[in-house]
Amino acid sequence: MAGLGEGRPTKRRAGADAGGLAVADPRPVFDGGAVLGARCTTCRYPVPQRQLPWCPVCYGELVPERFAATGSVWSSTVVAIPVGTRRPPFGLAYVDLDDGPRVLAHLADAYVLAPGSRVRIVDSDEGDLVAAREVR
Amino acid sequence: MRQVVVQGVGTSAYGRFPVRRVESLAWEAIAEAVRDAGVRPEEIDAIVVGSVFGPPGVATRVQRGIGLPGVPMWTVENACASGTSAYHEAVEAVRFGRFERVLVLGVDQMSTLFSGAIVPEATDPEGASSLPLPGLYALQAQRYVAEFGVTPEQLAAIAVKNKANGRDNPRAQLRSAAPTIAEVLDSRMIAEPLTFLQCCPTSDGAGAAIVGLERGNPRDLRVEATAMVSGALWDHRSEDVWGFASVERAAKQAFTQAGRTPEEIDVLEVHDAFTIGEIVTLEALGLAPRGKGAELAPSGHTARDGAQPVNPSGGLLSRGHPLGATGMAQLAEIAWQLRGEAGPRQVARHRVGLVETMGGGAAGMDGNACVVTILSA
Repeated sequence: MAGLGEGRPTKRRAGADAGGLAVADPRPVFDGGAVLGARCTTCRYPVPQRQLPWCPVCYGELVPERFAATGSVWSSTVVAIPVGTRRPPFGLAYVDLDDGPRVLAHLADAYVLAPGSRVRIVDSDEGDLVAAREVR
Repeated sequence: MRQVVVQGVGTSAYGRFPVRRVESLAWEAIAEAVRDAGVRPEEIDAIVVGSVFGPPGVATRVQRGIGLPGVPMWTVENACASGTSAYHEAVEAVRFGRFERVLVLGVDQMSTLFSGAIVPEATDPEGASSLPLPGLYALQAQRYVAEFGVTPEQLAAIAVKNKANGRDNPRAQLRSAAPTIAEVLDSRMIAEPLTFLQCCPTSDGAGAAIVGLERGNPRDLRVEATAMVSGALWDHRSEDVWGFASVERAAKQAFTQAGRTPEEIDVLEVHDAFTIGEIVTLEALGLAPRGKGAELAPSGHTARDGAQPVNPSGGLLSRGHPLGATGMAQLAEIAWQLRGEAGPRQVARHRVGLVETMGGGAAGMDGNACVVTILSA
């Protein structure tokens, strides 16, 4: 466990997983079939969060939305160092969900996917979205 | 609007100094800046501090050591641009008559805060998903590899250039023999494609400046422009990588304010926390079109003896990145360059300089605060 701020106040919140106090989970939620979020009723802007006061693009009213679990990779990488409680190697990708927001997901297999690769969110691993290659 | 000049600059050394009080780093930079400006401390009528990790109250503890009791003072946190944001605040305050002479301080001590594995900010969606900052930058690098054919060698060239420059910076943390392209690429992989030598080290340090009015002193640097912007939504509609558009917005404001074009800048200090950062930033500043930024280092254009030297100080890759101090370290280097006082790091043409700072840490926006400032001798 990293000695983050042990014994002294620090401005960074490590979160419960890393030995700090628990904080509210800011990650997008996958309910087994869809990624939960909200959509603007005026401009259709999709957000992967549900606590916003208004649409951050046009200030219109937001309503809850369930986004398709399928999407395209915008970029991906493989992290080769330990981060928090994650052990390397692990893959990460920004995924543009179909008609939905851009979200960060872990990759089921730790290798780089080319931009444009089709993926599907298949799991939630302790709160992290997990995306797998969608092969037609 | 009154003409503002930088009257003095100073910095601490940059490195890992966990046994030093964070205030002592600040005092070192402040003492040099005040003496450099040739003013008495009591001639300062406000203090603006940039610091990310403080700790909270660091400004007041610094003030305790330097006097100036009761002067207006506040601390700015704008992620990696905290120091230059504090400078921007100071310049604007003097421009519009709020103060006559302001002490700007940027300070951070990272070595007493972090140890072991990276633990990102748990309240951030990306941080909570275990995305480390090198991973965020790696995602931009991979995009550039796919979209523009940027090669590993082009990425490594930034590290080679800046670490070679850093050898001549006695205050930089990393000053060993400059690595070769092969050594950069063979260093430990951090997040594909960024290897260890393509990432800036964790560091402690401080930088300070005295900002005031024109006073007919030939060593003063004229502030031609200073622009500060915040981020905008970075999402599925964004075609540019994270970190591009915010820098572009600030740069456009700065060039308009100064009445200049990118070609007129003789020397630059920009945010090379990771090699890809310098490439993306130079495109956003207008030194190269999108997709061509990776050619600037290999062609020699941004070398210290090139047409537009970038990061002659060695950059963050050599100096390290004490968050709040970085912008002020960049400002100090540009001041020394414009005055012709940079010694072995001196570039040949030094009439107009530019500082850019912008860094990561908040998901979903195209950048945290970005400050671009243009100064001239």
